[in-house]
Amino acid sequence: MKKRLGDYLLALVIILALNFILPRLMPGEPITAIYGDALVEMTAEMEAYLLERYGLDRPLGEQFMVYLGNLARGDLGYSFYFRAPVSEVLANALPWTLLLVGTSLVTAAVLGIIWGVESGWRRGQKFDRLSLSAALFLNGIPGFVLAILLLLALGFYGQWFPLSGGTSPFPGHSAMARAVDILWHLFLPALTLTLAQLPRNFLLMRSTFLGVIKEPYVLTARSKGIKERMIRYRHCLRSALPPVVTRLGMSIGLLFTGVLFVEVVFAYPGLGHLFYLALQHHDYPTVHGCLLLITVCVLVFNLLADLISIKLDPRLKEDAHQLLG
Amino acid sequence: MHINYWAEVNKDKFGRAGLVMVILLVAIALLAPWLAPYNPWEYAGPPLSSPSWQHPLGTNDVGQDIWSELLYGTRTTLLISISAAAFSTLLGLILGLLAGIYRGVVERIILRLVDVMLVIPVFLIALLVAAYFKPGTTTLIILFSLLLWPPGTRIIWTRVLSIKNQEHFTSARQFGAGTFYLTWRHLIPELYPLLTVSFIQVVRRAVFMEAGLAFLGVFDPVAKSWGLMLHYAREFIFTGAWKWWLLPPALAVSFTITAFALVGYALEAVLDPRLRRQTYAGN
Repeated sequence: MKKRLGDYLLALVIILALNFILPRLMPGEPITAIYGDALVEMTAEMEAYLLERYGLDRPLGEQFMVYLGNLARGDLGYSFYFRAPVSEVLANALPWTLLLVGTSLVTAAVLGIIWGVESGWRRGQKFDRLSLSAALFLNGIPGFVLAILLLLALGFYGQWFPLSGGTSPFPGHSAMARAVDILWHLFLPALTLTLAQLPRNFLLMRSTFLGVIKEPYVLTARSKGIKERMIRYRHCLRSALPPVVTRLGMSIGLLFTGVLFVEVVFAYPGLGHLFYLALQHHDYPTVHGCLLLITVCVLVFNLLADLISIKLDPRLKEDAHQLLG
Repeated sequence: MHINYWAEVNKDKFGRAGLVMVILLVAIALLAPWLAPYNPWEYAGPPLSSPSWQHPLGTNDVGQDIWSELLYGTRTTLLISISAAAFSTLLGLILGLLAGIYRGVVERIILRLVDVMLVIPVFLIALLVAAYFKPGTTTLIILFSLLLWPPGTRIIWTRVLSIKNQEHFTSARQFGAGTFYLTWRHLIPELYPLLTVSFIQVVRRAVFMEAGLAFLGVFDPVAKSWGLMLHYAREFIFTGAWKWWLLPPALAVSFTITAFALVGYALEAVLDPRLRRQTYAGN
């Protein structure tokens, strides 16, 4: 486990270094690359202040220390497009992203597991063959394509769901009305993300499950006359679950990539949408902050998933890196 | 391993479908200049016109023929994804061989690097780099090659270790074969199937990444790419033009990813039914 923690730490260092060095590799002064178009409307004093505060005129090594120090204090710079500190802008967007990611992660996991178990149990039968084809087909559709299709079909033509945003301008006064409004806006983005993850979860669960139902204890359980559903979920699922949870955890990076696209398509007010807005308006400090925060989120959740799967299956402890790599 | 893999893939229903799809894509990419009725970079008719006999898929907002754009997009996608897959597989092969042959410190460093890289969400890093450098085709190929090698390296390393314990290898060594000869004649030929699988997986991921980056608008704005078409068409999504402007590139991307995925699955099943697919941090 120590080695695993080391991996994450190294990954974080590499990401920070990349974030630091990329704008400074650009031709011209770093301040031009970091603040871009905003420089035009900046006063000389402002520019001098930024140079001073972020140490942009000092040698690279010193700059990096200043950069790390600022990061540690949560200072990611100032967004000239949103007219607020980047950290504040990010803090407003993060809960939306987490809501979306959390909802779809849970629904996709539960649905994928049930689908995989039911399909694996009927191995080779019509339902199983159809499921496999459906999963392969669905797996080929990238998340942003899926998002556009759902937006057109259910939002635009069906008009059942809002086309964009996270809330309505005037959702009503009661907490209940507001909650309903948020859920209503959440539905399409969450559905897209769920569908995007579902085939992978299904294939994973199915193949693990197929490995488990051959075990002798399943035969024993059957000969004892235990109900089929009990065998499927109490006996087989329980032993098939740990590797699936591990893989689910490892797919969180994909999920955070997917959420980026989904938020862009649905203009959902999370980090992905923020990133897109900032990119279009050349607001580089925000672009920077968004990507850094998402990447750190991925690392944190991956680490959590690693820890959970070790809890579920203590055998992983000894050679965790071999099995998880 | 003396199996004709392609014949085996061809026997599988899904595998054959995938092969046909890939061949079709390659043919379109190669023949694009002859198949396309217009030069996709030139003004071909009134902007935003609906499909007609002159323009099977209408024209875009600057009057370029969408059908021609779509055909040329195949070129960009395949060029980027296949080159990136070739380079990253080569890189993976070299590092995997180094780690497997020399062991010791070299192995520890390479494997550590692989582990760390697998934790990093690849697409987000590509996005970060692309946001600054506004990449063209060549830059994307280099970027993807540098980001997509780790899963392949790990599989190759495992395989090299197991081949080194096989009798034909140990006996060749006892007859006095040198490292280079052993690598060239005994290791690499046995790695071909794995290399093909890893190549196809990288192609699939690179297709997705290229389309994704272009969709977000961080790609050479004048290049002809499906992702870019989606990017531009999205602004006109509620006009009805989506039927001929948005849908075709969207389907093309899905078609390409599915094509390579089908070939990949079939190939994996032929090679080793137990070979489990690697999942990684980012797509």
